[in-house]
Amino acid sequence: MTGLRSTFARRLASVALATCALLPAHAFAQPAEPEPEPASSPPAPDPSVDPAQVEALEQRIDELEAKLDRLETSASQPTDETPAQAPPPVVVEVPAPQDDAPPTKEASVDDSPDQAPPNYADGFHFGSYGRVAVGTDARGRPGRDGDMVARGSRLDESTYLELELRREDYWEKTGAYTRIVSTVAFAGPLFHETGQFDANLGIRNLYVEESGLGTDRLRIWAGSRMYRGDDIYLLDFWPLDNLNTVGGGLSYTFLDNLTLRLHTGINQPQTSFFYQTSPRPLPLGQLGEAQVAITSRQRFVSSARLSNIFGLGESGGIKPVLYGEVHYTSRAQRERDVRQFEDLPLETGVLVGAQVGMFTGKRSTHLNLVARYASGLAAYGEWGTPTQLAPDRTTGGAREFLVAASGNYEKGPFGLLFGSYWRLFRNASPGLDFADLGEGIVMARPTYWFGKGGGGLSVEGSYQAQRRGVLIDQDNNPTPQFGQVGRIGVMPFLSPGGRGNYQRPHLRLIYLASIRDAGARRLYPRDDVLGLRPVDHYIGLNAEWWFGSTSYFRD
Amino acid sequence: MTRTHLSLLSALVLAGGCMDFDGHDGPIELSTEVDDWRNEVIYQVLIDRFDNGDPGNDYGVQGDDLARYQGGDWKGMENRLGYLQELGVTALWISPVVKNVDTDANFDGYHGYWTQDFEATNPHFGDLAALRSLVDAAHERDMKVVIDIVTNHVGQAFYYDMNLNGVPDITLQGNNDVGEFRHYTEYDPDFDPRGVQAFTSLGEAGPAPIVWQYDPATNHLPPEPALFQDPTVYNRKGRTVNFDDPDQLLHGDFPGGLKDIDTTRCDVKEEFVDIYAGWIEKTNADGFRIDTIKHVEYEFWRYFTQRVRTRLADQGKDNFLMFGEIFDGRDDLIGSYTKNELPDEATLQREQSCVPDGQPLSGDQLDSAFYFSQHFQAIRGVFQDAGPTDQIRSLWESRRDTWGTEPAANSTGLVPADVPINFIDNHDVARFLFWIGDRPQSEQRALLHNALAFLMFAQGIPCIYYGTEQEFRGGNDPANRERMWDTGFDTTGDTFQWTKRLIALRNAYPSIRRGAVQVAYSTSNTGTEQDAGIFAFERAGGDAGGSYALVVFNTNGEHDSVTRNGDQVMTVLAPPGTELVDVFTEERVVVAADGTLEVTVAPIDRAMFVPAAEYKSGI
Repeated sequence: MTGLRSTFARRLASVALATCALLPAHAFAQPAEPEPEPASSPPAPDPSVDPAQVEALEQRIDELEAKLDRLETSASQPTDETPAQAPPPVVVEVPAPQDDAPPTKEASVDDSPDQAPPNYADGFHFGSYGRVAVGTDARGRPGRDGDMVARGSRLDESTYLELELRREDYWEKTGAYTRIVSTVAFAGPLFHETGQFDANLGIRNLYVEESGLGTDRLRIWAGSRMYRGDDIYLLDFWPLDNLNTVGGGLSYTFLDNLTLRLHTGINQPQTSFFYQTSPRPLPLGQLGEAQVAITSRQRFVSSARLSNIFGLGESGGIKPVLYGEVHYTSRAQRERDVRQFEDLPLETGVLVGAQVGMFTGKRSTHLNLVARYASGLAAYGEWGTPTQLAPDRTTGGAREFLVAASGNYEKGPFGLLFGSYWRLFRNASPGLDFADLGEGIVMARPTYWFGKGGGGLSVEGSYQAQRRGVLIDQDNNPTPQFGQVGRIGVMPFLSPGGRGNYQRPHLRLIYLASIRDAGARRLYPRDDVLGLRPVDHYIGLNAEWWFGSTSYFRD
Repeated sequence: MTRTHLSLLSALVLAGGCMDFDGHDGPIELSTEVDDWRNEVIYQVLIDRFDNGDPGNDYGVQGDDLARYQGGDWKGMENRLGYLQELGVTALWISPVVKNVDTDANFDGYHGYWTQDFEATNPHFGDLAALRSLVDAAHERDMKVVIDIVTNHVGQAFYYDMNLNGVPDITLQGNNDVGEFRHYTEYDPDFDPRGVQAFTSLGEAGPAPIVWQYDPATNHLPPEPALFQDPTVYNRKGRTVNFDDPDQLLHGDFPGGLKDIDTTRCDVKEEFVDIYAGWIEKTNADGFRIDTIKHVEYEFWRYFTQRVRTRLADQGKDNFLMFGEIFDGRDDLIGSYTKNELPDEATLQREQSCVPDGQPLSGDQLDSAFYFSQHFQAIRGVFQDAGPTDQIRSLWESRRDTWGTEPAANSTGLVPADVPINFIDNHDVARFLFWIGDRPQSEQRALLHNALAFLMFAQGIPCIYYGTEQEFRGGNDPANRERMWDTGFDTTGDTFQWTKRLIALRNAYPSIRRGAVQVAYSTSNTGTEQDAGIFAFERAGGDAGGSYALVVFNTNGEHDSVTRNGDQVMTVLAPPGTELVDVFTEERVVVAADGTLEVTVAPIDRAMFVPAAEYKSGI
C-alpha cells in the first residue's frame, strides 16, 4: 500500500530492493558465503567496494529516493473484475475478447521508470485488489451495470476481490530469485447480500517465475497467469493485450528498457466449438454409460511484446510498444446427431497492435494511444467462442479493429482521467447481423481534492454509441440499429492516502445518471426496466483498494 | 470533452467502417420489374431447403430431420441465382418471410406458414437487409421475386382451456358417457359451430377461454402486431374436420392448431393490407403467392387485392401479381377466386362499410391461382397415369366459364383465365417421381420430361418446384422438402438440361408464352387404339402476333400414337400447305389441303411444331 512514511533507513532498504530491476544485483548485494537455500534474509551489502563505487551508489540512491517519493504518490493500482450483476446479455454480449471478466492490472504508466515495481524480497507476501459496491436504482431495485458498450463506467461495477499470496526467495547458490504467485478472485454477490453460503471464485494467478538464472536480463515463468499490458482505468479495459492462459513465457531486457516478452499458453472454453461430450455404453459388457469427449480441442495463444522507454526531460519518457498474438485451434469432429459427425476445420487467427505511451513521470500524468487489429479466430478474443461463421464454417473473415486513448493529468488539487475507444467487430458471417457492431465511448473524470487530499469530489461524464448490424423497420424505412447513452456521475470520496487518481483506498458515495435514447433502450428484452426508462439512476456506496499485488506492478 | 471529439466518435460509430448495408437500408422506391407475367417462369423455393449461405443464422438446425430447420436462408438463395439463371427461370416464389412459431410438437416452422409476427423477418432466413439484398440481386438478373403470404391463420398461438383448469391438456376424459373416454387436445380441438365449448363435470360451461402460449424459447408468443392479441380476432371454433362444410372451411382452425382469423373484420382487413403492402414497400418484391385461399371469405380477397394493388400502384409498382392456393380439385372453386363478381347487395353493403370514405370495392379478386384441377386431372391423371386426354380438353375449355375473364383494375392487365399458374408438383403434394417410383428408371424420366414439356407449353405461367430439375422424388410432406444443396447444384443432369431447353424454347416462341390456346386433338382412348394418349393443342393469336405453335403429346407408354382415329384426323389452325418443323427433332410436316395434319409420336414423347419460317435451330 502506498503512502507509508518511513525513516530514511527503511526507505533506503526499500529503494535498494526496488532497484534490483534497474541495477545488477552484484552492484550492492552479494552473498558473503554460501548459505542454506533458500536465503532467509536479503543479501548484505558488500563491504569491499571501492570509494568510487560507493560514491556512484550514493548518487544513485539519491536518485532512487527521489523516485520513491514519486512512487509513493503515484503508485499503481487498478484492477478489474467480474461484474457481479452483468447487464442483459443482449446489451453487453461482445464477441470480442474483453467480455470475459478479466483480471486486475496495473496503471497505464507502470513501465515508466518512476513507477518501478517493488523488488523481490524473501518470504511470504500478501496483496489484494478489491472493491465492494452496494447500490440502488432509486426505485428499490439493486443498481446494475448500465453501459451499452462492452467497456464503460466503473462507477456501477459490482463487487470483486482478489487475494494474492506469493512466496519470494533468493537462491544464493545460483543467484536466482523465485516468485510463486497465487491469486484467488471472488465475484459477488456476497453472503451478506443473499444469505447464501456460496461464492463465485476463480484462480487468476498460479505460476512460478524465475529470474537471475545465468543472466539478470532473463525472466522465465510457467503456470496460469494474467498477462497484460496497460489498462484504461476508467473503462476497466486493457485495449492492447490481456491474456489469460495456462502456459509459460519469458522476458528479456536487451537494454535498460528495451524488453521482449514472449509467451504461449492454452485455454479450452467449455462450448461445443471446443468441447463436446456424448454418452457411450461402457466397454466389455458393463452396464451404464460413460461420457466420451467427441470434441476436445484447445486454443493455443502465443504472444510477443516488444517495448522500450525513451527518457524525455527530467522524469518523463515515451514508451512505444509493438504487440502481436497468434491463435490456433486444431481440426476436430463434432457429433451432430447420434453417431453423426461433422468436421470442425482448423482455425487460426492473428492479432497485431501498437501502443505509444507518453508520461511526465510526475503524478502519473500520461497519455496512451493504442491501435489493434485482429482477424480470424483472434477476432473473437481469447475466450470467445466463434459464432456466425463463414460459409465454409470457419472464422475466416472475422475481424476486429480497435483504437483507444487514455490518460491522466494532475496538477495541484485538480486531476483529470480520461479514456476512450472505438471498436469495430465483424464476425465471419458475410452478412451483417446482430453480433456485428461498431461501438465507442469517450469518458472523462475530473477530480478536485480538498486540502491535502484526504477527500475529494469527482465528476464523471461519458458518451457511448453503438451500431449493430441489423435494420430497424420504422414506417417502412429500415434504418440501422443505433443507440446512444449519456452518463453523468458525481462521486465524493475519502482518500486517506492523499491526492492522486491512482491513490487508494477510496471510500465513495456515487450518483450516476444514465440517459438512453430509443435505440439504446431497444437493445434490452421486453419488460427489462432499462429498456423502459429513458433516464436511469444509480445511487451507491463503494470502497476500492489495491496494494502489494503483482497484478499492480510489472517487472 | 469537446464537441469535436463527440462528433468524431459519433461519426466513427455511424460510419461503422465496413458495417455497410450495401444500400439495403433506408426507404426504397418501388419499381415495376415485369412487362408481362406470361413471359415469366416461376421457380418455387423453400428457403430453408435451398442453400445455406449464412451459417450465422443456423439456429436449431437439425441436419438429417426434414421436419426441422435445415439451415437454408436468403443469402444462400442469392448465392445460387446463377444456377437458376442458367436453368432459365425468371421469377422466384420464396417461402413466407415472417417470423414463425419456431417449433411445435417436434416440427419446426421452417416452411413459414406458422406466423407469430407478421412484421418481423424469420431470423432463420436472415434479416431485412438480406431479404432486400436477395430481391435486388434478383432484379439485377432480371428475375422477379414473389413472396408467399398467409392471412387465414397464425401459428399455434393459444389453447382452448376447455376444462377450465388453466393448463393445456392433451387428452381429457369426458363426462357425458360413463365409461367412455373422449379424446381432445386443447391445442387443436374439433370444430364446434358454437365455438369451442368449456365443460366441467356438471356439463358445458360456455365458450372455452383461450390462453396464449408463452414460451420465448420456441417463439410460442402472442402474435404480433397487437391487433392479433385480441381474442375476438379469432373465430375460435376449433379444428376443421369437414372441409365441405362452409362454416368449418371458413371459420375452423387449420389442422395442426393454426388459429383461424376472422377475416371479415374491417380492422383485420386493413391490418393485412398494411402488413403485406408494407413488405413490398420494404423489399420491392413483385408479387404474392397467397396461402389457403379457400379458407378465407371472398369479401376479404376483394378488399385485400384491390387495396394492395391501389396502394402499390400509387407508388410505382404496377403489374403486381397475386395468385392463390386453392388446394382443391374443383376447377370452378379455384376459378371463382379470380372472377370479377360482386356479392348480393346486403353483403356488399357490409363489405363497403370497411371503406366508408374510400373507393368502393369492385368485384376484382386474384390475378390467378394454382391450377390444382389441372394438377389432378392432367398431370396426375394423364401424364402420370396415362388417362384419357379428353379430360384435359374438357378442363381447359371450361376455364373460360370457371375462371375470371377480365383483368382486375391496377393489376397485371391479364385475364385470369389466360394465366393459370401451372405446376407439376409443389411442397404440399408428393413429387411427380414419387408416384411412379416403381416404374423403370428410363420410363420415370420420360414421364417427367413429358410433364415438364406440358408445363412449359400449356397456356399460363409455369411454376417449377425446386429440385424437379434434379429429379427429386420425395413423398408427402416433409419428404418432398429435400435439401437442395445435397445435389451440389449440378447442371449437367439430363433433367436439368431438359428443363433448361424447354425454357429456352418457351422464350424463343411468343406463341408459347402469350398465344391463345386451342385444343387440336384429344382422345378418350388409353389402350391399343392408334390415337391412345394423344393430346395436341395449338398456341396462336392472343398477344403472340403471327407466332404459331402446335404441341402434340403421346402420353401412353405402350406404342406410337397418331393424331388420327379412323377417318378422323386432327385439323389445325395453320393454313393448308404450311410447312411445320418439330423443334425437338427437326422433322418437317406439311398441313394438308384440307387443314388436317397427321403426326405420329413415340410413346411418352412429344413434338412441338412451328412454321418453318419461324423455326430457330440450335435450341
